[in-house]
Amino acid sequence: MNSLLEVNGVSVSFDGYKAVNELSFEIGEGELRAIIGPNGAGKTTFMDIITGKTKPDSGRVNWGTPSRNLLKMSESKIASLGIGRKFQRPTVFENQSVFDNLIISLQKKRDPLSSLFYRLNTEDRANVEELAEEIGLLESIDRIAGELSHGQKQWLEIGMLLAQRPKLLLIDEPAAGMTASEREHTTNLIKRTAGKHAVVVVEHDMEFVRRLDCRVTVLHEGSVLAEGNYEFVTNNKNVIDVYLGR
Amino acid sequence: MLSEGLGLGLLSTSYIKILGKTLCLCLAAIAMDLVWGYCGILSLGHFAFFALGGYMIGMWLMYERTKDIVINSLANNALPSTSEEIKEAIGTQIFGVVGGSDVPAIWYFADSLEVQLAFVIIIPGLLALVFGWLAFRSRVTGVYLSILTQAMTLALALYLFQNDSGLRGNNGLSGLQNIPGLTNVPQSLISIWFLWSSALVLTVFYFLAAWLVSGKFGNVIEGIRDDELRVRFLGYNVELYKLFVFTLTAIITAIAGALYYPQAGIINPAELAPIASIYLAVWVAIGGRGRLYGAVIGAAVVSLLSSVFTGGQVPNLSLGFATLHWVDWWTVFLGLAFVLVTLYAPKGIGGLADRLFIRGNNR
Repeated sequence: MNSLLEVNGVSVSFDGYKAVNELSFEIGEGELRAIIGPNGAGKTTFMDIITGKTKPDSGRVNWGTPSRNLLKMSESKIASLGIGRKFQRPTVFENQSVFDNLIISLQKKRDPLSSLFYRLNTEDRANVEELAEEIGLLESIDRIAGELSHGQKQWLEIGMLLAQRPKLLLIDEPAAGMTASEREHTTNLIKRTAGKHAVVVVEHDMEFVRRLDCRVTVLHEGSVLAEGNYEFVTNNKNVIDVYLGR
Repeated sequence: MLSEGLGLGLLSTSYIKILGKTLCLCLAAIAMDLVWGYCGILSLGHFAFFALGGYMIGMWLMYERTKDIVINSLANNALPSTSEEIKEAIGTQIFGVVGGSDVPAIWYFADSLEVQLAFVIIIPGLLALVFGWLAFRSRVTGVYLSILTQAMTLALALYLFQNDSGLRGNNGLSGLQNIPGLTNVPQSLISIWFLWSSALVLTVFYFLAAWLVSGKFGNVIEGIRDDELRVRFLGYNVELYKLFVFTLTAIITAIAGALYYPQAGIINPAELAPIASIYLAVWVAIGGRGRLYGAVIGAAVVSLLSSVFTGGQVPNLSLGFATLHWVDWWTVFLGLAFVLVTLYAPKGIGGLADRLFIRGNNR
């Protein structure tokens, strides 16, 4: 499988505290991957580094073939390469309708003048409606995003990422605060859309991870502790010691 | 005669000027609403652009007017005067008050209306572009950006207060109500022309602003206001958008200023004191930010009330134990109104109007 993202020996520390320590990670095109780890394992910092929010002290982050160095790029540039990020708490534009939230996420030219002279056409409308259907919000398409339930906001945000036609999705704790049926919907959404693009899911909930049925990377103290399928990592002695056993 | 034809014959010239100036302030408020109400950048320095626009047009007005006077007075001389003599006489006329007689280099194009009109857009636009680029590139946001914009307008004011700034120090530019070439037209008529021009420009920019915020561009800048990070991670260059809005609104404000000061007649560095830009924000807040008509209502209501209460026309109110001097107490009431609006009607007058008239709408 072609490697899509390659993180090599990355370290970053905040005020002497090593949040990420010599971390290496690789994901292929269309692959679905779960990352688990206790609080402070460096999961969020890891995502910050990939998306350009945090610059690491050392290491390399390369993207695609031919490989490009992500460390030199701004957040918006990285995002436009096809890396979409879902934050832990749902971040959607609460004052705008579901439709408008999706429209500004569609993969289009992002400069001010293009936005200014953008005209809604039937193709984009159809795309947005299709997306809304996919995330289960077609009936709520004209509602203001702020009125949606917590779970619906999470789906809307995933929909916004899908609208960008990403190559890689980074999803931070999608199931947090969701009801059981919302979780199921979320799992299905992620599994169904994976394949078109690679997905990295950071999650605490082991049941959720089991249902994703994919390769799992366990982070601990800023580096990779174990990697393999769900059965392998849950039976791994080190993993049980630092994480599952607690 | 024309004034009666347009139904304004009942109003005195000074009232017409107040109305015309108010329309210019409404235009500045629209710009403020775009940059703050829609894009979330609380600029407390936009009045600097307003005044700069005024200075740019004021230079032409004052230079040409003085030139006319000088040529008329020199015409009585036995010998025809050379262009150097005329230039020196103009210099003495304009800059004698700050102890100079040379026309500074920045007045090089002051005899050209076209160039000075272009400067109304270019100079404030350039200042906004450079300032905005430095500030946004360093990701300065929120309160820090507001303070920085205050510092910008204060620094510019302090610079202009100096006699050697080339713009007559604290005297500023005066006599701007006298339009060169229109010396035979009475002020009562000129004021009406300016009123209608201001109304026209306000209308044009209102619709331009409405178009700007109606589409995807509007969604993006409102997104920047509400959740800058999300917009950035959607792949939008947030800094570029902020710079675009900041510079565009600076230019709109400058155009408003260029229409305002010929009606005010005088401009001096006190106009761009930090408090002026804060007033601009207060108007928009009281009118209702994020609503273009709210900005217009806020600027019109507050600045008109302000000119009524500070004009000395309203009789003092005797409360028995004390007398209420409106001139002194107006700002206190304005401040109180601002606090009350912030606390009880955060969407301003525009928001109240929405609640009254659009209640039937189930959205």
